[in-house]
Amino acid sequence: MSVFVIIYYTLLLGGSCLAAYFNKRSAFLLLFSLTLVSFVLGIIGGVPALKFVAVSAGLLAMAAMVSYGFREFLVAITSVNMAKELRTAPLTAGFGMFVIFTYAVAGIFAPVIAPFGEAEVIASAFAPADETMLLGADQLGRDMFSRIVYGARNTVALALAGTLLAFFLGALAGLLAATTGGYFDQFLGRMSDVIMSIPSLIFALLMLSIFGGDLANNTTSFWLLAGFAAVVGVLMVAAVSESSIIGWLIGLAVMAGVATVFAGFMLTIFNPSEVILVLVVAVIYSPRVFRLTRAVAGNVVVMDYIEAAKLRGERKWYLIRREILPNSTAPLVAEFGLEFCFVFLLIAGLSFLGLGIQPPTADWGSMVRENATLISFGELTPLIPAAAIALLTVAVNFVVDWMLYRSSGLKV
Amino acid sequence: MTKKKDVLLKIRDLKIEGYSDETWVPIIKGVDLTLHRGEVMGLIGESGAGKSTIGAACMGYARDGTRIVDSTIEFDGMELTTASESDKRALRGSRIAYVAQSAAASFNPSHKLIDQHTEAPLQYRLKKRMEAQEDAMELYEKLRLPNPQEIGFRYPHQVSGGQLQRAMTAMAMSCRPDLIIFDEPTTALDVTTQIEVLSAIRDIVDEFNTAAIYITHDLAVVAQMADTIKVLLKGEEVEEAPTREMLENPQEDYTKSLWAVRGFKSPQRKRPTDGTPPLISVRNVDASYTGGEKVLDDVSFDIYPGMTVAVVGESGSGKSTTARVITGLLPPSKGEVLFKGEPFPPDYRNRTKDQLRQCQMIYQMADTALNPKVRISEIIGRPAAFYSGLKGAALKNRVDELLDLIELEPAQYYNRYPPELSGGQKQRIGIARALAAEPTFIVCDEVTSALDQLVAEGILRLLDRLQNELNLAYMFITHDLATVRSIADEVVVMQHGKVVEQGPKDEMFTPPHHPYTDLLLSSVPEMDPDWLTTLLEERGVDNVGDAASARIDPNDPKITGASA
Repeated sequence: MSVFVIIYYTLLLGGSCLAAYFNKRSAFLLLFSLTLVSFVLGIIGGVPALKFVAVSAGLLAMAAMVSYGFREFLVAITSVNMAKELRTAPLTAGFGMFVIFTYAVAGIFAPVIAPFGEAEVIASAFAPADETMLLGADQLGRDMFSRIVYGARNTVALALAGTLLAFFLGALAGLLAATTGGYFDQFLGRMSDVIMSIPSLIFALLMLSIFGGDLANNTTSFWLLAGFAAVVGVLMVAAVSESSIIGWLIGLAVMAGVATVFAGFMLTIFNPSEVILVLVVAVIYSPRVFRLTRAVAGNVVVMDYIEAAKLRGERKWYLIRREILPNSTAPLVAEFGLEFCFVFLLIAGLSFLGLGIQPPTADWGSMVRENATLISFGELTPLIPAAAIALLTVAVNFVVDWMLYRSSGLKV
Repeated sequence: MTKKKDVLLKIRDLKIEGYSDETWVPIIKGVDLTLHRGEVMGLIGESGAGKSTIGAACMGYARDGTRIVDSTIEFDGMELTTASESDKRALRGSRIAYVAQSAAASFNPSHKLIDQHTEAPLQYRLKKRMEAQEDAMELYEKLRLPNPQEIGFRYPHQVSGGQLQRAMTAMAMSCRPDLIIFDEPTTALDVTTQIEVLSAIRDIVDEFNTAAIYITHDLAVVAQMADTIKVLLKGEEVEEAPTREMLENPQEDYTKSLWAVRGFKSPQRKRPTDGTPPLISVRNVDASYTGGEKVLDDVSFDIYPGMTVAVVGESGSGKSTTARVITGLLPPSKGEVLFKGEPFPPDYRNRTKDQLRQCQMIYQMADTALNPKVRISEIIGRPAAFYSGLKGAALKNRVDELLDLIELEPAQYYNRYPPELSGGQKQRIGIARALAAEPTFIVCDEVTSALDQLVAEGILRLLDRLQNELNLAYMFITHDLATVRSIADEVVVMQHGKVVEQGPKDEMFTPPHHPYTDLLLSSVPEMDPDWLTTLLEERGVDNVGDAASARIDPNDPKITGASA
């Protein structure tokens, strides 16, 4: 009998007795069943099994404490209304927000946090972890930790840009379809059906092989970006100016200007191949956003207050902006989180296949592929970027779950 | 029949709290209730008085976000507050049943009525399926549903609202419970349909000696149904007394004020005689929804400036469709609408801003008529800004002025959102929104039917005052003749999309009537506890509701006379 085992059982039994005494039914059941399970585990696995249980429980407790602390921190620093909402957040959502916060800090301050450069070769290939390299080196001898930190910046920024563009296009089209109805609605609906009928990964591979290679230059991506912005712009102009010709002319002129600025701005952030990746992702995911937005807005446009606004002679743009959008934000925000995860996984998957972000840019998907050979030597290194992807996806989903719960109107 | 007089339900010091803004707020503040076997108790009070919450508590049930604290609820010797969930579940459906306000929303649309009816007896193994079905048909017959052998095999959407409500009562009866809780079972029904449901409920409760709690805000209805009446106000009991005593001699001031509600009557205005053209003139309008049959058939009537025209009729008679034609939401297939003698473009999209401004609308459901995510200041301010181009301080002054006009304190409501307001306040905001456009004509679509009598009366008084101050014309759509009596100057009676009778109010309320008007008038419950009994004796039990309107003789001289 080691001291560890004695302490282990003392804590468990003491805890369950206290829980029983204070009538905490669920806590008691949890602790006491853990005690019973531990008997069996101890007999089969010995002390290491019990240590594993203890460490897992400790990690879980740490995560819970961090999420609790972070939630209370947010409650303390935000405004009264925000704090009221945040207080209803479950611990999982607190955990999710904490992880997202950590990733955001890592991504934004990547050059400050990372000890080495993104493409800096500092050791021999696959060098093991030591004091200067927290996670060892990759297949070219670059610092794994630094690349993970830079990867947060690259992968997340791409996924965020792709999701945002998909949302602009999809949500605008959905809102317009719901308010206009008729042939316009049918046309957009069938367009989205066409895009959705092609499996997304295959569609992405197809588009990327067309626009990859020689076409991935500044001119092509500029025109593609401007074209995308023009489609969004035409939808917006249609909503704002409706049937006035002067409105259309002014709107189209403004739109052309905005599209040019937007394309130039995007090209300063991303290189041409990344721009094409973002656009492909936006086109693939916008139909899903379109469908959801149209459904949510469809429920709102039948309300009497929309009828009242229409009878007042309001324009479509006012209806969309002031009457419909405030009533559909909750499901849209939740959908944004969900789509972000899908986009993120798609980009990581494409990078893993060698079609996404091009080396030497650090990216979690390609990092998994580059270090994949190590797995046959029993090393966990390739799993670290994979874990980073998994953790972010789970975290975002935790937050989204909370938002979905809130928007579904269920009371606790 | 002798009624056993032992106590069935005993509630002492009932306290229920609701969770809001992170604290527990008391909703019910210590109500006592004693119900004997076979007794019918009426719970009345305005919305928010806690009627439905008490009704649910009688089953030991607290809705989500509420909890029952230190009270005793004893049902037939069994304490419900400490009983386990499975014990309480065993009571519900078999010994305590519940009839909800909206039968259409409470039936599962994808199962036949009889399958839903027999679910409880089968679940509790009281009867075999065939027995239960036979019993269901027997109950349907007792509740005077047409075709009792066959009606149970229909789906809920295949029967009318009144029939559905009776089928729901039959379903509650399926296990012969000791107690039934009726939560506003007739509020959503027309007066003519209401009678058949009321008489059916009353007979069956009497026959099986079932105790019942009847929740409603309609005093005249509760007077017909209940043995004793309990008046509630803001979660507290005001008084309780046997029905007759309560009606004749109410003790508390609040009860007296409830009784006096129906007293409001606006003086009747006459049409101008100096030849001013009518403000709105509906001429021979036919209308139908896409591909459907004709909903309006040759409808014509005039509305003069500053006058109120009430349009009455049961649901489906084309009242609201007429309003949609006038506002331009549904262009008519034949005929036209004139505004001050000028033709009004049939589609609202072709109307000018000024034409749109002239004609405003107030909706029945203030909940859906106000955007829940927009502040009051913007809801009211938008029309003012939109039509008159007001901005900044001028706009704020205008909104304050409008809030003053509808008797709400501007500083207090300026920045609030609609969900934070009560039903009556929301309806006032709806009125303010219509006024903000400075219209000459307002369509009021059942504006008071979702409100309690006290609140409704406040709204009617407000509308009447505004009419006098601003010289507004109202088209007042309603199925409640008490409302017509209090506010209308002229009345248009509609049935099946046709105008059956129209004229000044005083003429309409003096006989001889068109038989349909007569049916409507005689179906309005009165504050006399014997009213229903007398009415049924006069008409015969089988001659109420649909049956009665079907029985109108098409060759009646009054009908041929009315169209001439």
